[in-house]
Amino acid sequence: MVRFLSATSLFGPFLANVRDGRGMSAHIWKRGDFRLLLVGLVFILAWGGIGYRLFDLQGNQALANAEIGFDQRIKTRSIDPPRGTIYDRDGVELAMTIDGFNIVVDPMLLDDPAHAASVLAPFSSKSYEELAAEFEKGQATGHRYAEIAMRVDTQTRDIVKAAVEDAGIKGVFYRDQPLRVYPAGSVAAQVIGLTRFDDNSGIEGLERTFNSELEGRPGRMIVEVSGRGRTIPQGEVLIEESVAGSDVVTTIDREIQFAAEQALRKAIQKTSAIAGSIVVLLPETGEVVAMASWPGVDLNARSDVSPEVLRNRAVAEVYEPGSTLKMVTIAAALEEGIVTSKTPIDTPRSVTIGEFEYEDHGRNPEWMSVEDVLSRSSNVGTIEIQRRLGNEKHYEYLLAFGLGQPSGIDVAGERHGTLDPTQAWTLTSGSSIAIGYAVGATALQMAAVYATIANDGVWTEPYLVSEIIKPNGDRIRTTPRTRRVLSPETAAEMRRLLHRVVETESGTGRRAMMEDYTAGGKTGTSQKFDVDSGAYSDDTIASFIGMAPFDDPRVVVVVVLDSPRGTHPDGADLSLGGASAAPVFAEIAQIALHQLGVAPDRD
Amino acid sequence: MTEMIVKPKRLHGVGTRAANRSAGSRRSVFLLVIVAMLLTIGLGAMLSASSVISIQSTDAQFDLFTKQVMWVGLGLAALVITSFVPYQMWRKFALPIYTLVIVGLVVTLVIGDTRGGATRWIVLGPATNPITIQFAEFAKFATLSLLAAVLTKKGALLRDIRHFVVPVVAILGTVSLLLLAQPDFGGILLIVIPAFVMLAASRVPLRFVLALAGLGAMTMTVLAVSADYREERLRGFLAPFDNALGSGLQAVQSMVALGTGGMFGVGLGQSRARWSWLPNAHTDFIFAIIGEETGFAGAISVVLLFALIAVVGVSIAYRAPDMYGRLLAIGIVAWLSIQALINIGGVVAVLPITGVPLPFISAGGNAMLAGLAAVGVLVNISRASDRAPRAENRS
Repeated sequence: MVRFLSATSLFGPFLANVRDGRGMSAHIWKRGDFRLLLVGLVFILAWGGIGYRLFDLQGNQALANAEIGFDQRIKTRSIDPPRGTIYDRDGVELAMTIDGFNIVVDPMLLDDPAHAASVLAPFSSKSYEELAAEFEKGQATGHRYAEIAMRVDTQTRDIVKAAVEDAGIKGVFYRDQPLRVYPAGSVAAQVIGLTRFDDNSGIEGLERTFNSELEGRPGRMIVEVSGRGRTIPQGEVLIEESVAGSDVVTTIDREIQFAAEQALRKAIQKTSAIAGSIVVLLPETGEVVAMASWPGVDLNARSDVSPEVLRNRAVAEVYEPGSTLKMVTIAAALEEGIVTSKTPIDTPRSVTIGEFEYEDHGRNPEWMSVEDVLSRSSNVGTIEIQRRLGNEKHYEYLLAFGLGQPSGIDVAGERHGTLDPTQAWTLTSGSSIAIGYAVGATALQMAAVYATIANDGVWTEPYLVSEIIKPNGDRIRTTPRTRRVLSPETAAEMRRLLHRVVETESGTGRRAMMEDYTAGGKTGTSQKFDVDSGAYSDDTIASFIGMAPFDDPRVVVVVVLDSPRGTHPDGADLSLGGASAAPVFAEIAQIALHQLGVAPDRD
Repeated sequence: MTEMIVKPKRLHGVGTRAANRSAGSRRSVFLLVIVAMLLTIGLGAMLSASSVISIQSTDAQFDLFTKQVMWVGLGLAALVITSFVPYQMWRKFALPIYTLVIVGLVVTLVIGDTRGGATRWIVLGPATNPITIQFAEFAKFATLSLLAAVLTKKGALLRDIRHFVVPVVAILGTVSLLLLAQPDFGGILLIVIPAFVMLAASRVPLRFVLALAGLGAMTMTVLAVSADYREERLRGFLAPFDNALGSGLQAVQSMVALGTGGMFGVGLGQSRARWSWLPNAHTDFIFAIIGEETGFAGAISVVLLFALIAVVGVSIAYRAPDMYGRLLAIGIVAWLSIQALINIGGVVAVLPITGVPLPFISAGGNAMLAGLAAVGVLVNISRASDRAPRAENRS
């Protein structure tokens, strides 16, 4: 090769002329020869110039120009880690992420748009005509993107792929699109919540509260991309691994949750109520095993989802608890030693405080014991007990029972309820609050109030998430806040009193009786305050809060029905908590106790 | 290879007619080796540059590449044939061949396929795997051959300006007008400039040549600024970085690719520019891909090979047995060299972008076929110089 490039081989022809005797004068300096050599020289000079320019571009200017290229190619992409799973208390998935796909088409790659449209139309929400038109428009305008079917599962993807391959269509792409699915459908829908359609970030419920735990930490990938913005195979520069999302284990028991939702739906149908909620709480630990709201929704049917059906009423809906709050007034008076269960209390038909007249429903004796005030739910009697207790003490206990402040529940959307400080109380505030008016609480707050009685006087923070399991297997367990509100003796006495509400002849809560277990509880019926007219309406919030078995309660159940109406076949007024909510308690408590493996304490 | 190196050296020293005979075939072997190297480099670069396009447009990754291999095969077959056809045949049939090409260009304008605003292709065969014929590629050889034949025949008469101007203007004007109608500005350049090189190497008085060249250059300049897209290209050439996303896009991306390559390149198959950054990476701008993947080292080798083609070509012309052979040889060499210069000049941004392929390297079947066939003609002229004593009568 070196020889080929030697001067002799290159210029041999010219030199040969000299050597073979015909000489320079004979040829080289003839006009034509000179011009020919000049042409050769011009070409060599031209190539020399190109070579010099090339050296300039690839040597001197190389770095600057290479940098322009580097800058235009470098893109940072985020790597989204798989979102964590939400489990029920037995490790069954309530929310999970599965492989999904977006099926899209690059119309520019289609040989026959009409044929492609006819093959793809059956899998698309678009019609054949729409698809064909979109493909042809894409080809005409160079728009290289048309959606066929979004967010389909692996099975659907495989079916479409087979059809596409059979038909020999090019230009169909299957892009990864993780799907969030809810295997339990509508069960615990408002508790679990939902993720946003496009980026799967949590927007309601536990999905929102625990979003940062569930979504993990996205990684970064610095890549080189093509002029069209796609990652090029050889161009990977740096990867910062993502951290997978943690799993969230809830305290929800699917069976009890399902039973609660079924019972709630039946009660709503029977009473024509417009809404309702149920909380089932384990008083010893604060675990919420069921939290149901109506109206509800199947989380997988995205088109049905609205803020209204995703509303977790047990924590988001504040209501005046009515008679169920009398329990607090009486428990405080007992704990403070102001009265005993047997202390007689005068109970006239009505009592007037300031400009307000409070009266009892139905016919009551002229006096009754404290325990009868509770079981007969006497407004007048309770107001008298509150008068003896005093506003300051009363307020102290309301606070200790957790009213007017967040319960600390670990799910999005909780409201605090309303409880004015005593300085803001008017002449009637103490009396009204004693019987559950002029105060707002959520069903969950009321569940925690009653769980204090069930748990020997210790208030326990309710919670829905028992532990978070990190990707490396570490578990973070929830430890709820607790505080003593009542002595164990007062708590036990209150349980006896609540048992009487259910078990005595004259009790308002007799419909809460179960076949297998004893129970204690309190009915509540409050007039609904109509914001539009500024007055109380005929509609009621009917509730029942109970615990069972009464001497060693294992569950606390709150049932709240919004605006129940009508009459029970036996003549009972369904707008009252004792008629509409108490039977729901009985149904759920019985199922829950069986599910929890509690031995029946009634023959 | 070793044998080829040794033999010429030994025979050369003897200084007999045997040395002359071998000198011609030695030059042709040299030429063929250069062309073979360019073809090899070209196929390698094609494989890299076109693979991305093939991925993006069809499922067959090597589709463009296999097509190119097929065209190289056809071109080599044509080279073998033309190297055995006595080149005087081209002189004898120069006018019919030129006429045939002119007819072909007219037909192209009538039934040709229009792509990107230019009507340059006649499409034959099935729609799935069509064969396209681009007569402009064959017009180069046909025009140069006819011009060489006319200049040879006129001989001493060329000193009379009428004998010179009329045939030259007729031959070049007809084909130029037809190419302008397509339009194919690059095609005109690649006929007119080699034609002037041929005139410069002929016996035509230099002042005639220069006058005509001046006239031609003025016409070209007017043409260059008359059409919008040519003006755009000119602006992109003069200030590429000011129009980096518009008319300067190719120049900028080409310089980026060359800069990325640096001295020794990013490695074979590692080009970034081919990923939709540099338009026409596998055709007009394949030299940028070579420069990116193999660096200055590889790019300058290609430049060197083209310079060697010029040197060997001029030496073949110099040794040609007669005037027609000499003029045809210098015409072919000028055509291939100028095409390469214009292409690479555009890539390194010292010339405006004209859209001409790089001989033996860029994708494009007709150009490959015409170029390799022309090399065959050069080989034949070179070998003829061994058989005949160097012609004293050049008329």
